[in-house]
Amino acid sequence: MADAAIRACGLTKRFGGLTALDELELRVEQGEVFGCLGPNGAGKTTTIRLLLGFLFPSSGRSEVLGGTGNDPAIRARIGYLPGDLHVPREYTTNDLVGFYGRLRGGHDPGWVRGLLNRFDLDPDRRIGELSTGNRRKVGVVAAVAHRPELLVLDEPTSGLDPLLQHQFQLLVRELARDGTTVFLSSHVLPEVELLARRVAILRRGRLMTVSTIDDLRGQARQRLDLHLSRPPAAPEEFGRLPGVVEATVTDRVLRLVVDGSVAEVVRAAARLGVERIVTHDADLDEVFLRYYQEERS
Amino acid sequence: MTVALRLLMDRRRSLAWWCAAMAGLVLFTVSLYPSLRDQQSVDELVRELPETFRAMVGYRPDIMLTSPAGYLNARLFATLAPILMLVFGIGAGARAIGGAEEDGFLEHLLANPVSRERVATERYLASVALLAALVTVFALALAVFAPFFGALEGIPASRVFTACAAVFCLALLPSTLAFTVGAMTGRRGPAVAVASGFATFGYLLQSLATASSVKAVSPWHWYLNDNPLAHGPAPSAFWLPVLASAVLFASGLVVFRRRDLR
Repeated sequence: MADAAIRACGLTKRFGGLTALDELELRVEQGEVFGCLGPNGAGKTTTIRLLLGFLFPSSGRSEVLGGTGNDPAIRARIGYLPGDLHVPREYTTNDLVGFYGRLRGGHDPGWVRGLLNRFDLDPDRRIGELSTGNRRKVGVVAAVAHRPELLVLDEPTSGLDPLLQHQFQLLVRELARDGTTVFLSSHVLPEVELLARRVAILRRGRLMTVSTIDDLRGQARQRLDLHLSRPPAAPEEFGRLPGVVEATVTDRVLRLVVDGSVAEVVRAAARLGVERIVTHDADLDEVFLRYYQEERS
Repeated sequence: MTVALRLLMDRRRSLAWWCAAMAGLVLFTVSLYPSLRDQQSVDELVRELPETFRAMVGYRPDIMLTSPAGYLNARLFATLAPILMLVFGIGAGARAIGGAEEDGFLEHLLANPVSRERVATERYLASVALLAALVTVFALALAVFAPFFGALEGIPASRVFTACAAVFCLALLPSTLAFTVGAMTGRRGPAVAVASGFATFGYLLQSLATASSVKAVSPWHWYLNDNPLAHGPAPSAFWLPVLASAVLFASGLVVFRRRDLR
């Protein structure tokens, strides 16, 4: 069996009295697209910064591509997209990518040009003048310009519009198909579920579970608002439908939290004339909470 | 040297402004010399001022303030020139690691296959090169402008060169200190504060202290004890700051390679 792309053994990081990451055990196989989910402050970025050698563990250790993130030879094979791109404002995309290319012994110019075209970036504009979304694109280009074996992405699509998210997902899928291992962190499920097969869930620095997306989705509750033509006569009847955890009616809007399938709810609401359905992202916090509570009980 | 060259490129505009200002200051100062040269009363005036004030302008009884060496020393070498070099040097040193890390630039750079030692060393050397460039422009401006006004009469060119090298060494030490504090803390503020405090304290020691044993620990004393233009700087004006800088740089590097980035 091939070596794991990422391995963490008892990886722990304390900042003063705060334990940001507690005894993390993780194994990401080569060629896998792996998601790391958790609310803000769960330890996702700390994990990434430990893997890349920006932080030193308080105890435990991590292994990346068979070495450590401290080793420049290992970092040569990694692409990193930070949660927030901080580069000198006066750099143009050309300056940045050119500089990193020189540090990496030269980029393939055709590949870089293709990336710039693909994300519709003007390489001569200063990064400080770009919008958040465009800055993000610069970060993506800088992360993949050297065709890394391992791609580490911290909240990759936050700040991208849907079209660009799609572009980005296509790129990641292409790279994954060519054998790139992808490790991406996010606090929202949709960002991860389209790309990753397996995810780790972190909460308050602790690994709650490693699960496949399919299993996870089954556990997540859905929130939806149904805008109805006329208000329901007996709102409480929705609360009794199978899977419904919570049902409230304000005026003609029915707000529901549903565990599992929403088929019954939609059928019942159809009588009242559904004009609009607004769904909210599957509420992962509830999944976290469930893991959290299970652990305590 | 890719990292160092990139930093030099980044700072080229700011360096150009500093160099222009420095050349302007030199031109302004030497152009005033002819009007002062024949005013013997200035010398008598300064002679009667308190010791502290005389020390502050680098006055020594055996060198006339109206001589080129006395004048340039009082107007430039003991006052404005080193102070400006210090401000520039401390800023460059603090930015090398502390400022860059605080702005978040360092982390993205270190995601590339470069070791922390390499980044710190190259960025330190680039800061030193920036300071050296400013001192070089200062020396060239002096060599070019001063002869028009007779402000370098009787001072050999080699003396001008060594005096400027001594200014460079004087500014090098706080600049390195700023680098080191920045490399240890990852912050610009403490780097600037510690280095400026160190430079100011040394200046006050040289000006105010009376016991020569106390003065002896001040870099300003190493630099100003002899009038650098009239007698040439003492050897300690070179080797002490360079040695201390080497020790500081090494300790900054040791801490930086083993600590968490901010």
